[in-house]
Amino acid sequence: MSDSGLAIELRALRKVYQKKQQTTVAVDGLDLDVRRGEVFGLLGPNGAGKTTTVEICEGLSRQTSGEVRILGRTWGSGSDLAIRARIGVCLQETKFFDKQTVRETLQLFAACYGRGRSVDAALESVSLAEKASSRQSQLSGGQRQRLAVATALLGQPELLFLDEPTTGLDPQSRRQLWEIVRSFQRQGGTVLLTTHYMEEAEQLCTRIGVVDRGKSIALGTPQELIRSLGAEHVVELEAKDLAGIKDTELGALPSVQSCERSGDKVALKVQSVHLAVPPLLELLRARGKALDGLSTRHATLEDVFVHLTGRQLREEASS
Amino acid sequence: MNLRIVVAVAKVSFREFWRSPEAVFWTYGFPLLMTVVLGFAFQPKEPEPVPIAVVVARDSDELVTALSRSGRLKVAAMTELDADQALARGRIGALVRGTPTAPIVRADPTRPDADLARLLIDRALVRGDAKDVAHFEPETRPGSRYVDFLIPGLVGLNLLGAGMWGMGFQLVQFRTQHLLRRLFVTPMTRSEFLSGFLISRLLLALPESLVIVLFGVCLWDVPFRGSLVATMLLLLAAALAFSGLGVLVASRAKTIEGVAGLMNLCILPMWLLGGAFFSNERMTGVLRVCADAMPLSWCNGAMRDLMLGDAGVMDIAMPLSLLAAFAAATFAVALRVFRWT
Repeated sequence: MSDSGLAIELRALRKVYQKKQQTTVAVDGLDLDVRRGEVFGLLGPNGAGKTTTVEICEGLSRQTSGEVRILGRTWGSGSDLAIRARIGVCLQETKFFDKQTVRETLQLFAACYGRGRSVDAALESVSLAEKASSRQSQLSGGQRQRLAVATALLGQPELLFLDEPTTGLDPQSRRQLWEIVRSFQRQGGTVLLTTHYMEEAEQLCTRIGVVDRGKSIALGTPQELIRSLGAEHVVELEAKDLAGIKDTELGALPSVQSCERSGDKVALKVQSVHLAVPPLLELLRARGKALDGLSTRHATLEDVFVHLTGRQLREEASS
Repeated sequence: MNLRIVVAVAKVSFREFWRSPEAVFWTYGFPLLMTVVLGFAFQPKEPEPVPIAVVVARDSDELVTALSRSGRLKVAAMTELDADQALARGRIGALVRGTPTAPIVRADPTRPDADLARLLIDRALVRGDAKDVAHFEPETRPGSRYVDFLIPGLVGLNLLGAGMWGMGFQLVQFRTQHLLRRLFVTPMTRSEFLSGFLISRLLLALPESLVIVLFGVCLWDVPFRGSLVATMLLLLAAALAFSGLGVLVASRAKTIEGVAGLMNLCILPMWLLGGAFFSNERMTGVLRVCADAMPLSWCNGAMRDLMLGDAGVMDIAMPLSLLAAFAAATFAVALRVFRWT
C-alpha cells in the first residue's frame, strides 16, 4: 500500500497501437497525479488520448510503457481484483441488459461487491427509485446514464471513473448527474472525469489536466487555467469587411493580449474591458467600419482550450 | 469462486433468455416441434411404390402393361423428352424403353432408388406379380424401428443446438454492447461469470432433453431400457461439452455475424455426420474417421445404448469420459482466450 495520498499516479505513460504498418501513439509520456478527494477533469480534443488513459487506469488495457498506480497498487501484479473492488467505473457507452429491470441490473452488480451499499440506497442516490421495476429499454437517456453511475457507486468505491458521463444528455439530466458527483466527493470520494463540456469541468472539477496528442499541455484549477491566459475578459465584435484591419493593429490596442478571427467576427482577449473598448471603437470609426455587434464576457475554460490547442473542443466532439 | 456472484450471473442470464420469446422458441421450442414432426413422419408403413417412366414408342404399351403387374412400381408413359427431364429432376427412379423382351433401363446409380427400381423392373419382367419367395416380416417392434433410432439422435442434436446457440449468441451480444467490458471492471472473475452463464443454460437444456425422451416413449413407444443415472450423467456431460464448444467459439468473436458463421461451421458437419440421422457404422474411410471423432457421435451412440440397449454407467464409460474431457478442454481453452472486450 502506498501512503502517498494519491489516488492515481501516472509516470511517463505511453500507449502505442500497432496496426499493420501504421503506428499510432495514443498516449505519449503522460505524467499525472490525482489526489485523494478531488474531482480531476481530463480534457482534450477527440483523439487526444483521454479515453485510452482512462482505460489504462481502469485496467481495461495495458500501457506500452510507463508506470500506473491506482490507489497505491499496480495492475497485473496479483491485486487486480482488490483494485476493482475499490473502484467504480462508468464507461463511455454501455448498454445494460435489455430484459432486466433497473433493480435486477443493480442486484447483479451488488453481488460482485461483498461490502457496499444496498440496491435501494443506490436507487435512491440516483433518483431512480420509482423506475426500479422498469426495463432498460423503457428508460430515457438521462435515466440510463444515472443507472450506469449507480452501478459504479454500488461497491462504495474510493475512486470513481466517469468517461464522458453527460454526453448527449439534456441540461436537466446533466445537472442531476453533477449533483451525484458532488455528493460522492463530499463523502470523501475521488473522481477522474473526462468531458467535452467546459461548463461541466468548471462546475465540477477541483483540478483539470488538458491533454493533446497524448501529452499533458496544461494543469491546474479552472481559475488558474483561465488566469494563465493573462486576460480574464473577451471582447467579441462583429462588423463587415474587418479584413482591412490587421491583427497587429488590434493587438496593439491598450490591454489587449491576443486576437482571434472567425469570418466577420473577432475575439479579443483583454485584461480590462474599460481600457480596451473606447480605443477599439475609435479605430473602427476611423476606418469607416459599421459595427454589427459588440459584446464582452468573462474568459472561460473554452477560451483556454482554444488558446492551448487551437481547436474548439465541441467542434471536435461532433466531428 | 464466489458462489454469490455465480448465482447472480445465472439469474440474470436465465431471465435475459427466458424473457426473449424468439430465442426460447428457436432454441427449445423448435427442436421439440421437429421431434414431433420427424417422429410421425418415420412411422413404420408400407413402402411407397417407386415411380418410373416408360418412353412412348411403338411397342411401349406392352411394356407398360408388363411393368404395371408389379405392385411396387408406379409406371407412367412419357415422351423421351419428358422422361429425360423427370429423371434429371429426380421425379422418377428410372427410365425404361424398348420391348418387354429387350428392355433398356437408364438410371443414375448414385441415387438411392435407382438400384431398387432396376431390380423391381427386372423382377416384374421375369416373374410378373408372382408371390414373394421369402416371407417378409415388417419390423414394427419398439426398439428396432427408425423412429427408435431417431429419438436418441434428436436428444443429441437438441443439446448441441442449445449448448452452442444458447451460450454463444448472448455472449457476443453482451460483448458488442460493451456490457462484458463493464462486468470486467467489477471484482468478478471469468470463471464466475462463465459458470453462472453455463448454469442458466443447463437449467433449460437438461429438462428439455428429458421431454424429448418422454415424447418418444409416450407417443411412439420408443423403449427406455438403460440406467436413469447413466442417462443423467450423459446428458450433463454432453450439455457441458457443447456449451464449452459454444463458449470457445464465442470467446473472441466481435460480431453476431462472425459467431453465427463459426457456429454453423461446427454444427453443420455434426448434423450430417454426428450419427443423428444415419448410423456411423455405415460410413467408410475418412468420413467414418471424421464422424467417429465428433462429440455428437459419442453422445448419440451412448444415448442409443441407454434407450435401445440396457446400458448402465459402466457400459457408456468411454463416451461419457470423452465428453467430459472434451468439456473440460473446451472450457480450459475458452477461459484462457476469452475476451471481455
